[in-house]
Parts: sequence; structure tokens; C-alpha cells
Amino acid sequence: MTSFETSARVGDARSGKLHCRDTVVETPHLFPVINFYCGGLARTHFGGGVFRTVKEFLSNEVPAANGTDYSEYFRGVMTSVASLTDFGLSRERYLSYLETPVKSRPEFAEFDGALFVDSGGYKLLNEGSLSGTNFSIETSQKLIHGIQRAFGADIAVNLDLPFEESDVYRDRVSKTEATASFAAEFVNMDAEGSRRYLTVHGYSKAMLDRFFDTVARTLPGPIDQFYDGIAFGGLVPKKDDLNGLINAVSSLKTVLAERNLSHLPIHVLGISGRAMPLLIALGVDTFDSSTYLHSAINGKYSTSLFTSTNVAEADFDICDCPVCTSPALRQQMRGDAEYQKDILGPVAVHNLILQQQFVKRLRRSIAEGNREQLRTFLENAYQDRPQSRKFAYRVINQTLGSYF
Amino acid sequence: MSEQLEYRKPSVNEVNEFLEIASDFQDPLELIREALSNSYDAKASRVTIEIDQRFDGRTRIRIQDDGNGMDEEGLTSFFDLGNSTKEDSIGYKGHGTKIYYKSDLVEVDTAKDGVGYRAVMEDPWEKLNSHELPEYSLYSGTGVDETYTNIEIVGFRSGEGFSAGKLTYNRINHYINWKTIGGSLAHRLAADPHEMEIRVELDDVFDDTRNELVQQSRFEFPQERTDLQRLDDIESACKHYPYRQRTVEVNGREVTYDIVGFVAGKEAREELPTYGRHSTQFGIWLAKDHIKVERVPSVVGSDHETPRFFFVANCQELELSANRETVRNKSSALFDALVSDLKRFLDRVVEDPWYREYLAQRKTVEIEESADEAAGSIQDRIERARYANTVSVSNSHELIARCTEYASSGGSFGQIVDFDSTEDIEAIVEKGGEYRAVALTPSLHDLFVAERAVREADQIICWEYGDLDILRQIEVDGYLGRDIQFVLSAEEPYCELDGERIPVLELQQCFS
Repeated sequence: MTSFETSARVGDARSGKLHCRDTVVETPHLFPVINFYCGGLARTHFGGGVFRTVKEFLSNEVPAANGTDYSEYFRGVMTSVASLTDFGLSRERYLSYLETPVKSRPEFAEFDGALFVDSGGYKLLNEGSLSGTNFSIETSQKLIHGIQRAFGADIAVNLDLPFEESDVYRDRVSKTEATASFAAEFVNMDAEGSRRYLTVHGYSKAMLDRFFDTVARTLPGPIDQFYDGIAFGGLVPKKDDLNGLINAVSSLKTVLAERNLSHLPIHVLGISGRAMPLLIALGVDTFDSSTYLHSAINGKYSTSLFTSTNVAEADFDICDCPVCTSPALRQQMRGDAEYQKDILGPVAVHNLILQQQFVKRLRRSIAEGNREQLRTFLENAYQDRPQSRKFAYRVINQTLGSYF
Repeated sequence: MSEQLEYRKPSVNEVNEFLEIASDFQDPLELIREALSNSYDAKASRVTIEIDQRFDGRTRIRIQDDGNGMDEEGLTSFFDLGNSTKEDSIGYKGHGTKIYYKSDLVEVDTAKDGVGYRAVMEDPWEKLNSHELPEYSLYSGTGVDETYTNIEIVGFRSGEGFSAGKLTYNRINHYINWKTIGGSLAHRLAADPHEMEIRVELDDVFDDTRNELVQQSRFEFPQERTDLQRLDDIESACKHYPYRQRTVEVNGREVTYDIVGFVAGKEAREELPTYGRHSTQFGIWLAKDHIKVERVPSVVGSDHETPRFFFVANCQELELSANRETVRNKSSALFDALVSDLKRFLDRVVEDPWYREYLAQRKTVEIEESADEAAGSIQDRIERARYANTVSVSNSHELIARCTEYASSGGSFGQIVDFDSTEDIEAIVEKGGEYRAVALTPSLHDLFVAERAVREADQIICWEYGDLDILRQIEVDGYLGRDIQFVLSAEEPYCELDGERIPVLELQQCFS
């Protein structure tokens, strides 16, 4: 079964459908990062302050959602195995969490989006184990895969060791070999209908070529025989380096094309914000990010994909999202709530909706196949941002044709 | 108390105003600019400017055009201040013609609608400086079939540093192209260009290299050459960026401007005329009436060389100073909006694939040139070494090579395990598990002349001691406020700094 169908292309940008078991995600798409297991009790959606409020929106629960359907903003969500350790976790609760897949739990019965479960390799391999308050289990591909299955992952990635900016060549070689070895181990495990994404690392064509060569030597057959998509990782340290991000993604596209792997969907791990539209123009299909939530925790109310203001100074009248047009939620965001989570939770969802709306507009432009419309949309988005504008023009020139 | 209300108008000292405006003009070239603007506005197809020297040494400037001419009202506004009859044309303020007042005589002979006029103003500059408003006589007669304007100026007063004697065909030609309607970019900015032939004739006393200068009123770009295949062609490369109309929002209303230009290498730029230093004529220009006025240097980012760019942005809503040398409304929302949008436009240019390829090629050329220079330098050094017939060590890298050679031949030295040329103590040397901080220097005196910090050095290694006189003087003067002594004749030479001994190794001796 084909897991990814491309329906339209404009330049290098593409729109399509990602089939994940019984869920279809339209691409390009932003997967919000959700922490399903925050250490609380089942009746409180496993707790987690602002995380919990977001989950109440995700599951359309009263009073947060207040009868409004927010499911379109949670068509695909990302969570990480490593998120298990974000809040103090006991062995008993760990085992309880893994008893029932997320979407089979009554508290998430309303959630029918695709669940992408990252391995959390960076954190767990650095720590060496998955540790709670009274237990510790050594990190392995088998352990991570078991947890991904227990979560009920629709998409799962192999364990990986992302590059760091301080890595020298031999560090990168060693990490590549370790990740390739995990990738080979991963394909021998039962996927139970979930999609497998291969984690890929490298900032340049040379690095990526070496990465793919290493993986190809490790796997018993062609990559697309075992993997349904590419999860491009290790880019978070470059989130403010647009030039580096553009080069990395362009290089990946070139390498995939040269290896006849262009048909695989590309997910960029941990990136959103100002880079996202440009990476979409370069052909990235999906993203994930927790920025929406962490911004809210820091009191930031997004006013566009690129800008935000302090929530205390925000003018909710200029936003027509379902959060800001809800009198009850506006009251909460103005501080009229007992708990901070009820003030900042709606802010987080507003921030997410703003990003989702932006991606949706891009998706429509691509789907309509209108090159000029997409070009104008990107130009308008970046024209007053001198720091990123030239990179936008570079991408437009590269993918949609020269201005001159 | 009885109260009285009056309305009063502020008065103007007419003489001072005429003096003030006329004083803004210094260069006789500005007179040519004004004349060309007026002829262009009068829809002339030909304008001739003759400059000669009269028998009494005074300069005479004659401007003749076949334009629409002036009627009585036009002639009145010609002499009036701030009373132009023109609208939406180059000279609409009525300031420019006041440049003619800086002379001994202004004669205007013009015809329009079958009526001819002759106006004569004598000694305007002398009268103004005597606080007297100069008058002009006006004659008129009917039955004139043609339209034209002939103006004669005698004894023009240049400002300090400017004189008619400096006028040459070359200088006038370049000035016309850069500063006047003669260098109009209307034909490139999709405006409706009015073509005008400009003819300049100079008296041989000024320039006898030719009889006349003839040109059209248009600024020509270098020929477009976009092929970047050959590295040799990079400096003659030139890409024209076609005319674009852009819109900016200024206080809620839309203002349009036009922009056109090119990117070029040095050789291509040389095809253009120049006025002032050639390289300073490039960059992004603001223009009005399709004439370049003032550059906005900050528009091209610092990552790029401004002299590679020539772009002209014409906005009719710009306001100019009286002498048209600068934009007057720089502290305005319009100016800010224009500059912001120009930055956007230039960002597009510098991200244009052709320009990026051009930059890459330029870098290659620079590296090639550097390699060529290096080849010459290498050959020189080989020659020097051949004739010197001795080992030459002139930098610490060569010294390291000698240290390594010495160590590999069994010398008691150790191994350099770390080297940082930016540090005063450049090397860390390991021997038998012991680590030494070593200052490296081709000659010992160089180390101290350069005032490098050596207090923490465990050893100084030099190729040679160098100039012993200099070292002796350093002993006399002290070193950075410390007592110093060089004991180089001892069995184990050293330098003593405030009582602390630092062993010195002269490596040259180890090879002798």
C-alpha cells in the first residue's frame, strides 16, 4: 500500500496525502508536539499543566473546548518516547501508560489524528537509559520500538543519534554508523501496520551521501523497501540559521532524487516558525514543533507565524480563530482563571491554530497549482523581514523561477 | 482699553531672496543643467549651448532651442522668483532660472503664438549685491512664424573652485549624462520619452580637441553580456535588470515608483561616462524626472560591493533641493518607505541566480588571481634562495619544519604537539612526558621588537639570534618595564627576565 500520494506540485513544493492506518493527513502539515503522559492521573488526562489543557482541546473536552471542534488542528500529532521522562515517572505508572495505546484510551476517544512517535534518541541515548523515580531500563532499539508500539504509533522512527554542531568528522561517522545499525535493527521488528520513517542526519550533500551509503550498506535491500518516509533530524540547533536549513533540505532533496527516493515523504523534526514556509517550498511535507506550546508557557501570544506579543498586551479582537472568538476563552486568556494552565492553554492552542492556518493556506496554494499565487504568498510573508527576506527570495528563485 | 484686530501678511525681502536662491548655484555646469531642463520642458527637439570668451575676457553662454517658446506670462515667470507657470515638469519651482542672475547680462529672445519677445536685464548680480532689484526691459513684435528660445548670459559668476575655464567637452559630456535631463532614464523606465538632441560648442580657448559635442537625451547602459562561461569575461559581464514598477504604502495611500538598472564588472562600468570618481558613481540612485539625484548607499547590503550595482529608482513624489543636488524630503514617511522597498528589491537582485553565479565566478577569478600572484612570489623566493645559498627561516612555520627535522635527526628537542600562530607563545612541546611552552621566532630580536609576552615561556627557540645591537639596546631600555639580560655566549644560552631564566635555543647552530 502506498503510504504517500502526491497530488500537486508547484516548483519543488508538493501537496499530497499521507495514509496512516485509518487516518489520512493532508500535506504539507505541521504536527504539534503533544505530551500524552505527563505524570498525572488518568482522569486528568495524565496531568501536565498547559500540556493538559492542550490535550483537552485535542480531545474536544468541555470546558476547554466548550463544544467547538478543534480536531482539524490535530490531524496529525507528534509525541516522543522521551516525553515519558519529562515528569517524574514511577515504574507502576510507566507500566500503566503502556497498557493501552493512546487512541484506545477513553480520555482520547475523540482524537482520531495520526500519531507520530519519535524515538527520543537524542535524550535517551545521551542518558543511556529510560529512567523513572524507581526504575531504569537501558536504552535500546528494541525498547524504544516496544514503547512506540505500546503508544499505538501510526508513524514510528528508528532510534537515532543526531549530530551536534560541536561534532567533528569522526563523531559524525560514529553516530551515522550507530543510527544505521539501529535502522537495520528496526526493520526486523514488527511494525503492526504503522509507517516506518528513517531518521536521516547531515547538513550538506557530502554528509548526506555518506549517511545514505552507510544505511544502504546496513539494510538488506533498498531503503524504500523498508521505510515509508524520511525523518530529517538534527536541524534544531540550526533553527535560526535559515541559510543552513535551506542548504540542508536542498541537499537532502538532491540526494533523494539521485537515489530514486523522491517519492518518499520528508518530515523535518523539530522545526517550525519562519523557516517552515521556505522548507515547504523546497519540498518538505511535514514538520513537528512544540514552539506553539513553549511560547505560550513563556507568555507569548502569536500575532503571525513570525511575531508574537505578551499575552497581557494581546488584542484578541484582531484574530478570528475559534479560541480568540470564544468569549469564555478570551476571559481566561485575560487572566480570569484559577490556574495558569487555563490562561496559557488557550494561548498555546491559538498559537498552534495560527501556524496551522498558515500551513493550510500554503497547502491550498500548492494544491491549486498556481505558481504566481504561491510566489506572492511567500513574498508577502517575508517582504518586511529583512533578516529572512533574502533567503525567501533565494528559495523562490530556486524553486518557482527567477524574478528577472 | 479698546481692542483692535488686524490681519497682516509677513513680508519678503525680495532682493535677499533672489540673492539667496542664486547663491545656491556655484558651477557653470549647473547653468547647463537648468538650460537643458527648460528646453526639455518646452518640448524642444534640439538645443544648442555655445560657450565662448568675449574680447574683454568675460564668458558668454548662449542657449538656443526650438521649443514652444515663451509668451509674456512665461517670460514674466522666467524672471520672477517662485512663480513658475509650469506644472508637473522639471522646473516647477521657479528657482532654477535665477542662476542667470549671477551675471552681467541676461538676454532672452523668444517667440510663441506668432509673437516674439526680447527681454534684457543688465547687471543683475551687481544690482542684487547693491541691494537693488534688477529690472528688465521687454520688447515685443508680431508676425513671427516659428517658436524658439534663445538666451544669452554674459559674465557668469562661478563660485569658488568653479570656473568656466575648467569646462571641457569631456567634462560637460559626463556632467550632462550624470546630472541633467541629457542623462534621462525615461526610455528605460517605461515613461514616454521626449527625445532631444543636445549640441554643445566650446570656444577653443576652453577646449580645442573637437568642434562640438552632440548627443541624445538618454542614459545608455553598457551592453548586456550575461555569459559567464569564461572566467576572463567576468569583469566585462553585465546583466540588465528590466524596468519594474513598484508600489509602496505611505500613510495609507499608494505611491508608485519605477526602477531599472544593471549589475556589471569593472570593464563594463568603464563604458559609462563618469562624473567624479568612477567607482563612486555606482550604487542605487533616487531620481526625479528620470534624472539621478542622490544615492542611497545603505540599500545594498554590506555583503555586496556597491560599485557592482547601478540602479535608478524614479519617484515623482520626491522633493528636491533648489539646486537639485539632493532629495529634500528625507525626513519623511515617503523616503523611509522608498528605502525600505528598495532594500526588498535589491534583495531580489542579490538572490537572483545569475548574480549568485556571477559572485561565484568572481570568487574563482579572485582565487585564480591570487594563485597567479603566489606563483610570481614563489618564483622570486626560489631565485632569492638560489642565490643566497643558505637556509632561510623567515617565519614560525618554517621554524617548525626545522624543529621537526632537528628532532627526527636525533636532536634533543621533543615533539610539537600544539601550535597556535595567533598566540604569543605559539607551541607546546612534549618530551618524555614533560610539556614545555615554547615561543618560536625566526630571529631572537624579532620576538622582543614585536613585544610579545614571553614571561610564561619555558623556552625560546629562534633560528638565529639576529641583531645583537637591538638585543643589547633592549637590555639597556628594559623590556616592558622589566629588567632583561641576554646571556647568549654561555654553554646553555638564556635570557633573564626579572631574574627568571628562559633558555634560548639557536636552531641554526644545530645544523652547522
